[in-house]
Order: sequence, then C-alpha cells, then structure tokens
Amino acid sequence: MIGRLRSQTIETGKFLADWMEDRTGAVTQLEHFLYEPVPKRGAWLYTLGSATLFLITLQFLTGILLLFYYVPTTDHAWNSVYYIMNEAYFGQLIRGIHYWSANFLLAVIGLHMARTFFTGSYKAPREINWIVGVVLLLLVIGLAFTGYLLRWDQDGFWASVVGIKIGSYSPFIGPYVTHFLLGGDVVGPATLARFFALHVWLLPAMIAPFIGIHLYLLRRHGEFGAEFEYTDRISKLHERQREEGYRQHEFEDDEEYDYDDELDEEGGTTRHRRDDE
Amino acid sequence: MAELQKDPMTRGDFLGFGVMGVIMGGIITVPAAAFLLEPIINIDILGQSNVSDDWQEVGPVADVGVEEPEVFIVEFPLTQIYGDQEIQELSPEVPRSQEEFDLTNAVWLSWKAPILEQGDQGNSGDTIGVPERPAFLDEKREGFTPEEISEVEESLNILSNSCAHLGCPVRWIVNADGEGEFLCPCHGGIYDINGNWYGGPPPRGMYRYTQFEVRENGRLYIKHAYDVEEGIPGISTQEPYVV
Repeated sequence: MIGRLRSQTIETGKFLADWMEDRTGAVTQLEHFLYEPVPKRGAWLYTLGSATLFLITLQFLTGILLLFYYVPTTDHAWNSVYYIMNEAYFGQLIRGIHYWSANFLLAVIGLHMARTFFTGSYKAPREINWIVGVVLLLLVIGLAFTGYLLRWDQDGFWASVVGIKIGSYSPFIGPYVTHFLLGGDVVGPATLARFFALHVWLLPAMIAPFIGIHLYLLRRHGEFGAEFEYTDRISKLHERQREEGYRQHEFEDDEEYDYDDELDEEGGTTRHRRDDE
Repeated sequence: MAELQKDPMTRGDFLGFGVMGVIMGGIITVPAAAFLLEPIINIDILGQSNVSDDWQEVGPVADVGVEEPEVFIVEFPLTQIYGDQEIQELSPEVPRSQEEFDLTNAVWLSWKAPILEQGDQGNSGDTIGVPERPAFLDEKREGFTPEEISEVEESLNILSNSCAHLGCPVRWIVNADGEGEFLCPCHGGIYDINGNWYGGPPPRGMYRYTQFEVRENGRLYIKHAYDVEEGIPGISTQEPYVV
C-alpha cells in the first residue's frame, strides 16, 4: 500500500516536472542555475557571495515589513521608529534584523571582495562581473547612508550632515550634489523625504537588476571554471579516448586483414584530421 | 555590412529619426529631471532659500564674558515642501498639516582678541592677546547709544558651531592649564576664541554670520548668512548658504 502510494507520488511528481519542463523549460534552467562544480579546497570561502545575497534578501524582506509602520515625516519618523521598537509585536526583532544584517552585509561584502581579489577571480573573462560587483557595493553604501537618516535621531542626523558635506567637496558639482540631497539649502523635511525615496525605491530598484546581471555572469563563467571550459575539457577527453579506441581498432584490423589499399597511410591521416575538427 | 542592412536608411530618414528622437527624448526626460532637480534649480539658479529672511533674536550681548565664549540657540523658521505656506495663504483658517520644523543653529559669541602675530592656515594658528570686552557693558545691559552699538558690533565674534571641515558641532573646551579652544568632536578641528583656524583638518576658520545687528535693548539679531569663501569647499560656496 505504502509502496504503491510512494511510486504514485513519484510518478505524479515526474509528470508535473515534465509538464513544466515542456512548457517553460524551468526545470533545466533551475538545474543549470542551482548546480555548479565548486572546488573542494577552501569551499567555505565560496559561500560568501551566497551570504551576501542572503543578507540583501533579508534587507528587502525586513524593509518591506518596517514600511508598514514607519512614517517618513520630520515629526513622526523618530516616533514611529520608537513605536516599532517598543510597541509593535516583534518590532525590535524585525528592526534588529534590518539593522544588524545591514552592518554584516558591508562586512561580508568586504570579505567577498577580498576572496575574489586574492583568488584572482576578477581576471579574464570575469572583469565585467567585478565591475558589476563594484557597482553593487556602491549601491549598498548608498543604501546604508540613506537609511541612517531615516531614524531621524541625533546620530543619524549628524552622520548625514557629515556625509552630505563630504559630497560638497566633490569638484565642480559640490553644491549641486549637496542641494540635490538636501532637497533645499538646509537639512529639513525635504531631506528626509528625499532620503526615504532613495532608500526605499530608487536604490533597491537599481540594485535588483545588477544582482541579476551579477548572478548571470557568475553562472556564465562559473565560480571555479566556466561551464564551457568544463564541456571543452570533457569533449577533449572524449576525443582522445575515441582516438585511442580507433587506433586500437586499426591495430586489430591490421592483424586480421592485412593491409587494405583503401585504408593505406592516407586513411590514418584523414581520420586524424576529422578528429581534430 | 551593407547587405545585412535589409531596410536601408536614407539621409532624410536618419535626420528625421534624429530630430524626433531629440523631441521625444526631451518630452520624456525634461519633466522628470526638472521634478527631481527642483532644489538645484531653486537654489543655484534662482537663488531662493528655504530659511526665513527675518531677523532672529540671539540674546543679550552683556551675557558674553571675557574669558569664555557664550552659546545661544537660534531657531530659524523653515519652509521646505509640504506646501504649508501656500495652503496658509489660500485658506488661513485651515490648521497647519504638520508640526513646524525649525532650523536650529547654535551661535557662539565671543569678544575679539587682538591678533599679535598672524598665523598661517594649515601650519600655525594666530598668536592672540586677551579678548577685549567693551567696558560699558559692566554698567548697563540695555539702552545702548548708537556709538556703543557700533562698538559692540565691531568687537563681537558671531560664529556658527558648524565645523568648517564636515559640519559637526564644535564646543568650547578648557584644558588643564585653563586655556580654552573650540574643539570639533569628529576629527579634532581646533579654533581659537576668534574662531580662526588653530589645528586639525578644517580648511578655514569657523563660519561667521555676516548679517547681524545689535539693537537698543542690548540684544543681538542675526540672519541666516555666512562668510563663505570662494575656492574653499564648505557645505556650499554659493548663496544662499547652507550650514
């Protein structure tokens, strides 16, 4: 009974997978996306990218939750954060996760970059992925900077003043950068509104496609060796084996039938040429 | 390459595409860009400010002692988004939608100390003497004559507490020897009692308020304006000023 049930379940599963595969090709894509040869040596170091992705996902999820209570106005921003921290159910946990995973995110990105640098993973053909990664780093820094002000406490306020003033030192565009971020000529309600817009919509919307490109390029070139490098190597191996097999056949043929004129010396060379192709 | 072009483009077509592209691109981008860059247009091009242009009271100048500067809190009314001002003008009976957000500035007042030896920005601070407080302030706190008002105005340092480096609030710190200095908590910028550079990373001295007046009642009034120096990247080198 149980055996039959199990086999039926397996068959249904197979049927569903085949059904999806025929219509969307999702199963192959998923396999292609999830499975990947990873070196055994230093394997833990290769999980830093996944850790970064996990923390960014946490940021998105807890950020969405926080938005249900946070009010981005000068007279309510701090109060709503206070409410989240003291009144809302599990508010302290959710904001804590948002806060601490943001801190860890920057640390893990640093480690991820260091790993990439010291293993030389930025070299050809992975340069574009390094550049995309740097763009992601800058976006994350932007998110960390804009998120700081949203608490609207002394700490975040003065950190933002310092940050904006650092922006004012940019050559030629200093005042424009300042006024763009401030939304006026001094820190005020417009600054909070702007930082909120940047933190909640603009930067996350920018970071998402770059994560997509980063992952696509990762899968294209692989963590330890590109997929095409593998297929290349494997096909070469097969070729060599085939060649050896042919040679053995030739050898056997020679013994059995003596030399046939058609397969004279030329036969060997043409076959070799075909293999090389 | 030519045979790949299945749909050859004439010069006229190309020109048309170019012109239409510019027009359509402009229609799409200009409103969005102007919407986003409103503060830059208002401030850097039109020269508007969010801060009220009225005189704000700082405090009685007689409270400022000789040895140490005195700090006063000044709140400048601020209009920034929310449309509160416009709504109030249209229908004054409507209560304000949001609590007012004032721009809070801390103003340090001190008496000018004579500079005995001019310092060199970045190398050494000024050598200064004892601050000179007008003598008549010991006797009266208000009812100044015009001569006394101008004497006070000439001998007063009116400094913003915003550090000229990155804008942290500076404080007056007295060390063990009894010598005082303005110290910035962020990166250790130091200024003397005149607000001039003494040490640390700031590229200049403290910001001074440029529009001020002492009135008969013995109190100082200021406007939100600073001595911004060209070429030194402060928070803004353009009027109206940002601190």
